[in-house]
Amino acid sequence: MTGSSLSALTLTRRRALGLLGAAGATGLLAPNLLGKPAFAAPPASPSGQIIVGFSQEPTVFNPLMPRIEVDDGVHFSLFDALFRIDPEGQIQPALAAEVPTIDNGGISEDGLEWRIKLRDDVTWHDGAPFTAEDVKFTLELVVDPNFRSWRTAGHDLVRDITVVSPTELTWRMETAFSPYISILCETFIVPKHILEPEPDRNTAAFNHAPIGTGPFKWSNRIAGDHLELVANTDYYGEGPYVERLVYKYIPDLTVLYTQFKSGDVDIVGNQYITPDNFEEAKSLPGKVVKVVPTATVESLYLNMGRPQFQDPAVRQALYAALDKQTILDVLYYGLPSTTETYMPQQSYYYNPNLPEHEFNLERARELLDAAGWAPGADGIREKDGVRLSFTNSTTSGNHLREQAQQFLQQTFREIGVEMTISNLPPAVMWGEFWTQSQFDSVMVGVVFMVGGDPDVTSRFHSGAIPIQGGRGANNNQYVNPEVDALLEEGTRTFDPEARREIYWKVQEKIREDLPLLPIFQYTTVRGYKEGLEGIEPNINTRIDTWHAAAYYWDE
Amino acid sequence: MTAITSAPTPWWRSRGVRRFARHRLALVGMVMITGLTLACVVGPHLLPYDALYVDLRARFSPPLTGDHYLGTDPLGRDLAARLLMAGRISLLVGFAAMLLSTLIGAVVGIVAGYRGGWLGASLMRVVDAFLAFPSIFLLLALAALLKPSPFVITVIIALTSWMEIARIVEAEVRSLRERDFVQAGRMLGLSSAHIMFRELLPNVVGPIVVAATLTVARAILLEAYVSFLGYGIQPPLPSWGNMLNGAQQYLASAPWLAIVPGIAITIAVTSFNFIGDGLRDALDVRSNEHT
Amino acid sequence: MFGYLLTRLWQSIILLVLVSIIGFAILNLTPGGPLSQFALTPGMTQEAMDRIAEQMGLNRPLPVQYLDWAWRLVQGDWGTSYRDGQPVLSVIGRHLFATLLLMGSSTVISIALGTWIGIRGATHRYSLFDYSATIGAMVALSIPTFWFGLVGIYIFSLKLGWVPAGNMYTIGDGSVLNYLHHLILPSIVLSLVNVAIWSRYMRTATLDVINQDFVKTARAKGLRERRVLMKHVVGNALLPMITLAGMQLPTLLSGALVTETVFTWPGMGRLFLDSLGYSDYPVVMGLLMFSAILVLLGNLIADLVVAAVDPRIRLG
Repeated sequence: MTGSSLSALTLTRRRALGLLGAAGATGLLAPNLLGKPAFAAPPASPSGQIIVGFSQEPTVFNPLMPRIEVDDGVHFSLFDALFRIDPEGQIQPALAAEVPTIDNGGISEDGLEWRIKLRDDVTWHDGAPFTAEDVKFTLELVVDPNFRSWRTAGHDLVRDITVVSPTELTWRMETAFSPYISILCETFIVPKHILEPEPDRNTAAFNHAPIGTGPFKWSNRIAGDHLELVANTDYYGEGPYVERLVYKYIPDLTVLYTQFKSGDVDIVGNQYITPDNFEEAKSLPGKVVKVVPTATVESLYLNMGRPQFQDPAVRQALYAALDKQTILDVLYYGLPSTTETYMPQQSYYYNPNLPEHEFNLERARELLDAAGWAPGADGIREKDGVRLSFTNSTTSGNHLREQAQQFLQQTFREIGVEMTISNLPPAVMWGEFWTQSQFDSVMVGVVFMVGGDPDVTSRFHSGAIPIQGGRGANNNQYVNPEVDALLEEGTRTFDPEARREIYWKVQEKIREDLPLLPIFQYTTVRGYKEGLEGIEPNINTRIDTWHAAAYYWDE
Repeated sequence: MTAITSAPTPWWRSRGVRRFARHRLALVGMVMITGLTLACVVGPHLLPYDALYVDLRARFSPPLTGDHYLGTDPLGRDLAARLLMAGRISLLVGFAAMLLSTLIGAVVGIVAGYRGGWLGASLMRVVDAFLAFPSIFLLLALAALLKPSPFVITVIIALTSWMEIARIVEAEVRSLRERDFVQAGRMLGLSSAHIMFRELLPNVVGPIVVAATLTVARAILLEAYVSFLGYGIQPPLPSWGNMLNGAQQYLASAPWLAIVPGIAITIAVTSFNFIGDGLRDALDVRSNEHT
Repeated sequence: MFGYLLTRLWQSIILLVLVSIIGFAILNLTPGGPLSQFALTPGMTQEAMDRIAEQMGLNRPLPVQYLDWAWRLVQGDWGTSYRDGQPVLSVIGRHLFATLLLMGSSTVISIALGTWIGIRGATHRYSLFDYSATIGAMVALSIPTFWFGLVGIYIFSLKLGWVPAGNMYTIGDGSVLNYLHHLILPSIVLSLVNVAIWSRYMRTATLDVINQDFVKTARAKGLRERRVLMKHVVGNALLPMITLAGMQLPTLLSGALVTETVFTWPGMGRLFLDSLGYSDYPVVMGLLMFSAILVLLGNLIADLVVAAVDPRIRLG
């Protein structure tokens, strides 16, 4: 990534960088600087091979279809989007020649007219030239009702896509929607000349032998085991520097770690090294091990539709009785960082001025006493016929989380609150149980941002409650008209500074209302072999292999 | 079980050393299982720790540290206390599943064997259908479908283990159907229900008891499998199976977490298998081994 | 004979239909579904999930979905995996090799060891060896396989470092030796139960034959013990063993499931668990049918072999 996109000094970048100052970016810049000694230089032509181990199997290779993180990891190697988001949260051009803004005229003042200029030196892996037609085709395909598209949000606002020239296209938005640029960062462009002739794009041959514009080309896949990509020597951007990139599927984190130790895997990818192995991993010879923050925030997620949780005093008391520090230090080996919000601390939009949580059982009891929750015969508090008792659920088999649950259960009991544990297998847990708000409370790690964009309408807007017919993922049924108004304003606003103000307020409100009790922001323990260069974490993407193009062996 | 104590001693000598040895094993089984049951019932009251008490300062204590005879788990809970409480659940699930599956199996077997005809044939086809399912499939799929409480797990295990008993009983009853005492009963105008459950049932008690004993062993193992895979008894309630769930992760750093519950399971299951084998001889059930 | 086969076939088909209906019902009645894995995806909305469900035909009435699935199956189309879009048969085929390798080597170990223990137990009846074998077999049948695997990993892999803790081979090393090295521990663990069963059967079968007249005659003729054993006993006792082997076919899926989990072996059991976890219904149904067919086939083979060997049993 370095140096490839400095030309694009956009409004967003200029303003944001100014505001960001030193504090905001240190967390991300530091590992980057450490990982890249000045003397290392990538090889002139691709050489060598890198094996990345994943604990889940990448199986979806059409980048527009429903996918999980590891699929993303592979898509980043094979495809490009119009833009990409860098570790500092800045949008950089990829297939586009520049990032459209209101200042440079790419986006009209009212945010409705968009004009995109494309690079003219890009070819598909099969040699065909990449043009504006491909972009138009892609943007139309994602909203094609017959196509199994993973996300239409944002895209469904696009109207009248017009190809002006092979390197330029325009469209109109139904309403102004500032998060769209971030959504475009996650929308990989697919080749029209391959997919258009296919009668059914859901089952096209392309989906198992993808052709992209990315730094690596599809080579072969042994399903259930690994897949192999080879260098695209005609790549227009930086890299690739290795001849072969292998994504190996190792369905067990312990084995994944063992294979990293033994050197069978060069990079430990998603889901990385488990916290309990961190101490040992640090001291492994010939290995680089780093703690990297991710955008996932762990919380005790409360269903606001339940009578127990409608009293703010209950939510505040539960928060006061939440011994975050012990969970963090003991169960998670001190790796994650505590947080007061859903927003990752590395984000430009993170609000650092939120009231600090204090673990205080006495205060929790006082809060409940004052609100009229009196202990019943069995020691469990109740008020107006409602027992302060609820179930907590999570994915069965997630051991650390199950441990945290049982620890919380005991502390909550001490303030007269009964929490019973009812865990479910993943497919059940995240089905209707989750989406239709059938839970009392859930222990869950959620990424609230979409890419680098701070828009959380789908999580906190009252119109996004699925069980009330809403269109989003506001599964804890949080309703606050003030937040609604702020969120609506946020998606209409393009100026980062103004947006920051809005989302700071949103975070304040959420911290006040506590529809979820934030516990910590996750960190992952990542590791790779010494001598491997160019690895740079990016909190704004779902996976660490977002820029495998820059990987190389320093030999 | 009563059969052992009430059986007259003479066969003891007459059937030679091998049987003697066998019964000694059955006795060993009896003693072990009685001891284990007693420990699970009484033990938790004697230990200084509660099975559910979380003490993060004491996590991962190896066995024989302080008052933690068997060490502690990742939450610092006393492993001995958990083991015994888990034993209550596991043994109870095993017994209850045995009772339920024996009930289903015996009824289906007797009705199918006595009535025969299309009813008998279709009942036995149902048995075949259940046998054609890989039991692990039924177990896991049902556990995902229903909320896995001890009761549900018991029912599910019973649902996947009654077929053997049904088959055994059906075969026995079919061979008894034309015997004189049954014919006589029929001529006396006794109801079918009376003949089946008053006349025939006592004659097939032997095989049922043997099969039932082995079913307890099987049920304990099944509970362990399902809970190990995370589909069974859910924490914080301990069972021998779910204590092993997650133990693989700590195999290198805290091997006792895996070793201890496994030994308990092995002891319990071995005991029931010993007893079942002994009963097979004692009750003179036709067995595979000719003597 | 032909009529018998026809009846069996007909009955088997009814059974398969029954099994498929029950399986389909259980799976589809389970809350959640194949889309739940995307529920936590950033930006995923209920609207998008509903749309995808619609496109995948998941919101049609269950009987319609079942009939659609069954009709395709009859035409030889086992469906497509939700998870990786590959035909179900090829998904199963891929994992079949790993399972066959594991089951195969475990069967070899079981037969070799079980035969030896069984015959020796029978010929040295009531000896210390016989007792130990009897007790050992019963204990072996009582040990949870996965726990035995865990203990094996702890001792031989973590402590002694003799064998790998899991997987079928090392990446980048596809040599036979490497496979064998990975195969040792799981196949021994998987053999535990089977050695116990085989040795019991072998012992009984050998005892049966030893007491038969022609063996007694042969012995009376002064033939050496070992030759008598080799010639008659083993030859005769092995036939029932084949029956037993037929009955073992169905355990292909369930038998190795837990062992495959413990050793992260990429076989059918592992596939089954993964597919169940992801609600990949086509694959789960495929495995279910595959395994049910094996059960029925195994039973049929066993019956036929018994009939062929024992002239007293006449089928029909």
